[in-house]
Amino acid sequence: MKKKFITGILLSLISLVVAAQEITFPVLEGYKKVMKYPVYTPDNLWDHINGAADGYVALGFVDLNVVEYKKGKNIIKLEIYRHSDHTMAFGIYASERSPSYRFLNLGAQGYITGGVINFFTGNFYIKIRTHSNKEKVIHAAESLAVKVAAMLGGDNEMPALLYQFPEEGKKQNEETYINESVLGHQFLNKAFKASYSVGSDEFDVFLLKFRSQAEALEAAKKYLSSADLEPIPPDNGKFVFTDGYNGTIFLAWVENEIVIISGLARDQSDIADKYISAILDKNN
Amino acid sequence: MGRITRRGFLKTGIAGAGLAALSPSIVSAVTPAGNEDIIFRTLGRTGLKVPVISFGVMRSDNPGLCKAAYDKGIQLFDTANGYQGGNNETMLGKLFRDYPRDSFFMATKVKPESDREGKPTDETSPDKFLEMFSTSLGRLQMDYVDILYVHDISNPEMLEYKPIINAAQKLKKEGKIKFLGFSTHRNEATVIDAAAGMDIWDVILTQYNYRLSYLDDLIAAIKKAAGAGIGIVAMKTLAGGGFLDRERTKPMNTTAAIKWVLSNPDVHTTIPGMTNFDQLDKNEKILTDITMNDQEKNDLLAAMNEPGLFCSGCRKCIAACPNNLPVPDLMRAYMYAYGYMSPSMAKSLLGDLGINNNPCSNCDTCSVDCSRSFPVKEKIADVSRLVQIPDEFLA
Repeated sequence: MKKKFITGILLSLISLVVAAQEITFPVLEGYKKVMKYPVYTPDNLWDHINGAADGYVALGFVDLNVVEYKKGKNIIKLEIYRHSDHTMAFGIYASERSPSYRFLNLGAQGYITGGVINFFTGNFYIKIRTHSNKEKVIHAAESLAVKVAAMLGGDNEMPALLYQFPEEGKKQNEETYINESVLGHQFLNKAFKASYSVGSDEFDVFLLKFRSQAEALEAAKKYLSSADLEPIPPDNGKFVFTDGYNGTIFLAWVENEIVIISGLARDQSDIADKYISAILDKNN
Repeated sequence: MGRITRRGFLKTGIAGAGLAALSPSIVSAVTPAGNEDIIFRTLGRTGLKVPVISFGVMRSDNPGLCKAAYDKGIQLFDTANGYQGGNNETMLGKLFRDYPRDSFFMATKVKPESDREGKPTDETSPDKFLEMFSTSLGRLQMDYVDILYVHDISNPEMLEYKPIINAAQKLKKEGKIKFLGFSTHRNEATVIDAAAGMDIWDVILTQYNYRLSYLDDLIAAIKKAAGAGIGIVAMKTLAGGGFLDRERTKPMNTTAAIKWVLSNPDVHTTIPGMTNFDQLDKNEKILTDITMNDQEKNDLLAAMNEPGLFCSGCRKCIAACPNNLPVPDLMRAYMYAYGYMSPSMAKSLLGDLGINNNPCSNCDTCSVDCSRSFPVKEKIADVSRLVQIPDEFLA
């Protein structure tokens, strides 16, 4: 047991696990802080957000700090979700945003809808909510959001891989991050996805970046063999094939990056080629 | 009531499966889609005949997976107003607008505001509840949902809270919901027992799996509710995502876990979450065969004896400890250290708990009989050593 314990400590040192950053909630003028919630972790997040917890845990959820700001009957609730890294924080943020919301320059990105303000910064996803419709309370919630963003700091850019997606036809603010089972396949993980509308065509583009070319090739092979295609040569390639569940798939890879396009017909390879080249050429 | 015993566990599993196989009112019917072997059960007084496997959609953002599930004969799809910020409902709406409305069942959930004890608050507003439901219906692009659950009821006070019940019944009268239910994730046995005596609830969605520490109470409450005509839907059937340990090194036999749930004839369907086709393929097999084979029984018994790192939070240990130690929190610290490999988080928690040495050092033997069979004294002695390690040595 002792050996295991020491191993645990060494492993954490080696993997540079981020030490738990203590959350200090900012002061909101005129409001009293009510600290009645425990710090939630993956083993009890269910107590707070029920079935939605599984989605958070799947995206590297570490802990959640909650506080309420109260002034008379008006309550503003602040939730700070800590995830394992910036990509995961983007993933959970993006899974809950809608392109119809009013977006804000807050953290890496944020939005406001009704009495809800959500944003992400660094490895944090922040949710602020009030049931009040009063302008003063909404204004206080906005002010709180700015203070929290400044307090947490962290990476205020969108994940770098998102910039590889071409802008032409891209549906704005619909990009997502899929940590597990891209297109429902267990062997495809960690993809950024962007959706496109070009003329009458609607399609999705997935970008996966692996640690090495060998890993990318292995994933591509698994996908191709799931469609009963012949083994592939160990160099860069482009394929079109039928995925029994997802229809026509365009698949291409260069070095350690794979691009998958779904939603186009087999005879639309010109569109697929254009987007694949635009993405893979950007970084290779 | 204590954790279910090994003997009781087997009895529940085997006897339950036997009952299910013998009862024509429970196991019935044939699907019109041609999947003749699919096992259906009647969802209580709703009269809905549902396959034993339904789809907990909450984590899936892939319409292809939902379509495949539908094609394989799954009919009941379960979502909620809050899942993926509403995107989950939107995805289902886009998919199912092309399907005949009477070829599937849709369930969603709306959560009224409540305090930490699950009681209504000043902010528990029927107008807000109706507004949220209206949003859900819009996202789903449907005129009605088959089941609306009042989400996350853990206190009997909420079961009887008239403003919300009246609002939900108004929706029923208007035809916007066919049946009214509630979901429960905490204090389940108490609220299910209370609901069984009321004439309001058509369906209950409850967590139910072989690893719950209060299983006997829950089984009794479910039996009472089902006997009163309430449909029972089981969630969290895998007891934590398909692995026996937090480190995800010990995969569980998920088929066995779901079959165990279905061996209780009072459970009418299950909503395992699915995010990939492998899971769907496994669950498809259960659609037509819920009998546990010897291997599955053995796997389940082995899993039952696997304590893992996850404290079930039954809190019985606190009263048993002569020092009134916060044992569940200390088990959490142990999980941080070994499960997450994050001794800094563990030490931080120990600090919050006021632990500055081994708090068990004065006890020769431990009076705590952990429901998960954790060696509590050993774990506390082990993890509490962390407080002596300087922060700079901890990442």
